[in-house]
Amino acid sequence: MGDAILVEDVHFSYEGVPALRGVSLTIRTGEVLAIMGENGAGKTTLVKHFVGLLKPERGRVLVFGTDTRDASVAQLARRVGLVFQNPDHQLFAESVEGEVLFTLKNMGYPPDKARAICDSILKLFELDRYRDRSPYSLSIGERKRLAIAAVVSYNPDVLVLDEPTAGQDFFNKSKISKLIFKLRMQGKGVVIVTHDVEFAAQVADRVVLMAEGRVIREGGAQDVLTDAEALRRARLVLPQIPATAAILQAEGLSLPSKPLLPGTLYLELLEHLNHRWSEHE
Amino acid sequence: MALVDLRHVRFRYTGSDSYALNDVSLSAERGEFILLVGPSGCGKSTLLRVLNGLVPHFYEGEFEGEAKVAGLDVRSTPTHVLARHVGMVFQDPENQLFLSSVEREIAFGLENLGLPRSEVKRRVREVLREFNLESIKEKAPYELSGGQQQKVAIASVMALEPEILALDEPTANLDPLSALEVLTLVNRLVKEKGVLAFVVEHRLEIALRFATRMIVMLKGCVAADGGPREVLLKAGKVVGYPPVMLAHVLLKRKGLVGDGVPLTCEELAEEVIAKWAMRYS
Amino acid sequence: MSKVLDIFRFRRKRTLLHELDPRAKFAMLVALSTASLALSDGVSLAVLLVVEVVLLAVAKALREWARSLTGLSTLLILIFVLNYLTLPADRLFTATAMTLRFLCLTTAFSIFFLTTTADELAAALEASGVPREYSMMFTMSLRFVPSLARDMQTVVDALRSRGLELEKGGLRERLRNYTYLLVPLIVFELKRSLMVAEALEARGFGAVKKVEPYIELTFKAKDYVAVIASALALLAVAWVLLSGTYSAFIAWLRGIFPRI
Repeated sequence: MGDAILVEDVHFSYEGVPALRGVSLTIRTGEVLAIMGENGAGKTTLVKHFVGLLKPERGRVLVFGTDTRDASVAQLARRVGLVFQNPDHQLFAESVEGEVLFTLKNMGYPPDKARAICDSILKLFELDRYRDRSPYSLSIGERKRLAIAAVVSYNPDVLVLDEPTAGQDFFNKSKISKLIFKLRMQGKGVVIVTHDVEFAAQVADRVVLMAEGRVIREGGAQDVLTDAEALRRARLVLPQIPATAAILQAEGLSLPSKPLLPGTLYLELLEHLNHRWSEHE
Repeated sequence: MALVDLRHVRFRYTGSDSYALNDVSLSAERGEFILLVGPSGCGKSTLLRVLNGLVPHFYEGEFEGEAKVAGLDVRSTPTHVLARHVGMVFQDPENQLFLSSVEREIAFGLENLGLPRSEVKRRVREVLREFNLESIKEKAPYELSGGQQQKVAIASVMALEPEILALDEPTANLDPLSALEVLTLVNRLVKEKGVLAFVVEHRLEIALRFATRMIVMLKGCVAADGGPREVLLKAGKVVGYPPVMLAHVLLKRKGLVGDGVPLTCEELAEEVIAKWAMRYS
Repeated sequence: MSKVLDIFRFRRKRTLLHELDPRAKFAMLVALSTASLALSDGVSLAVLLVVEVVLLAVAKALREWARSLTGLSTLLILIFVLNYLTLPADRLFTATAMTLRFLCLTTAFSIFFLTTTADELAAALEASGVPREYSMMFTMSLRFVPSLARDMQTVVDALRSRGLELEKGGLRERLRNYTYLLVPLIVFELKRSLMVAEALEARGFGAVKKVEPYIELTFKAKDYVAVIASALALLAVAWVLLSGTYSAFIAWLRGIFPRI
């Protein structure tokens, strides 16, 4: 696990309106980071800096040691894959298979290698039965999978997903979370921009909360996603399990650690209640 | 007679091989908050559009079966007549707010019906007051936050005083707090005005607390229809269980909670405390 | 690109121009653009431009206009150079005139669009008898111009993130790369128009033929003044052109302009 992207005190404005006011953070490989906050907090603006689509007005962004001002977007994109929120903005080919091949060609893969990768990627994302169809004939969930598949195909070191679960059904959300775990296991870095607290609770290792162009809280998922006050400032809510734990706490049942997921809550309660029974006995 | 009465409705879009709606029968009354869920492509959006006649008038295809909304036959009633009974709110505020001020937006539907200007002005004043929009009445939609935009969209269709509200993923692009505000508003309309609300949503953790009924669709058919608890028990594998339910299942195995089916964190906490208090009383 | 489109985007302010009836402003637009087209020498057009700049100042829109000039500058230079190189004689004279004419025309339109909302325009059109479907078509297109610009930027960003070097390569290669923009953009905007159409239907659009508009457009004193002034300006231009004084003036100007 190493430092992939360094954001150092970045300031950025759109037409005079400040969007980022001194943001610093580190993206590491082998880790899943969730950047969260309301719409307009600056999340998408920030991640556009990761591939150099935007350059900071003050401060700098280093991608694997390269200052984003010294490289083109296409060059930076080789190491940082960015999947935009709406798949319809990023489907360029005539066929599903063509979409993956187009990406691989741009990234410099020779045709025969590209074919092989394309085959395995389409199978992995369960899209190979659509391989000759137009991307636009797919359902919204499938188009999203295709956009992600095309970017994953060229094996970037860091994958950035902008609102991957917005409008997605349960089946697709599971697929996306499985993919994220797989990438992390492979030692890749994953950044998800989201306001889906439940999804972040499931997949994120670290969470950054943003509001009004600033980072207001940063830390491990378990610390940040159980911090009701910080979440409220970022226009977010507590995920269900920490919310339940908070109610239990208010009623006198406090748990030693801060559970984030159903399994953890179960284990905590099991231990706590058993402990109390044995005391009682 | 029921407010919405669908019997054996089948619909196939022109040029499609499969039926988007495959023998759907359901009836609904005033004062219900119906959560309509299912994987993408299951037909829920199509079903919603039958309510105001977009299917089959705007989206052409083969329509079979009977569909009566507010006593009107959908097949023979044009959409602009049905629009007085069914207010539809869509996912993307940008594509459903067309005018340069909130006030004009609310007037738009009333204008379209050919009402005299004095009547339109009166109703607009009422709606602005009722929905608490007086302070922003001169703002343009693009100056508002996503949550405010959706509230304006709801107010604009409610100005026509429909008995039914149909919302197609209204919170997909909103942060959780705004999503909660929007659904709370819908709930208020259901409870106070007896509106029948059909809400297509993927984010169950937020919407479940308001639902009086849940319909799960699968491949054009109604797979489950009833109270949210029983439907989730039956079809949770398809639509995803909210985290509190997952925790409950685990806890129940060890006898740490009773037989209830919690949909919200308050309900889960109650279950735990009830069992815990019982042990020590 | 977006900088250029900026001058056609409405900005809410409280100025005299914003409060004029859109039909009065339309009359002014007609007068200004006719004058821009009728006049064909650099000096008169420069005067016209000054008049327009004064109007812009009244509309508190100078900053937007100045910002857009940087975007327009390439086009302006292009017009100047093309005229200069392709004409047989009086090149400097005609080139300056043509460039100024273009600037006067775009500025006239931007004065109008910067101070008029899309639905004031619709109301004006409808009050003048245009059927609602057509006026809606017009205002919808206007209203979605910024959205289109934003979508285009997003698609370009997505293309670049997929490894397409849009900045490099010869002209042909760059053009070919930009064609990849077309399909997603067209599909996206088609989908958008479908969604907008659905939403319009859902709000009862088309229920009745004649609609009583919410916005009441009534002419006030200042509107009459604006219309009369525009009419007078038009008459003055017509007279100057037809009476031969203008051709005399142009001949004299040409005489003193350096013959290059």
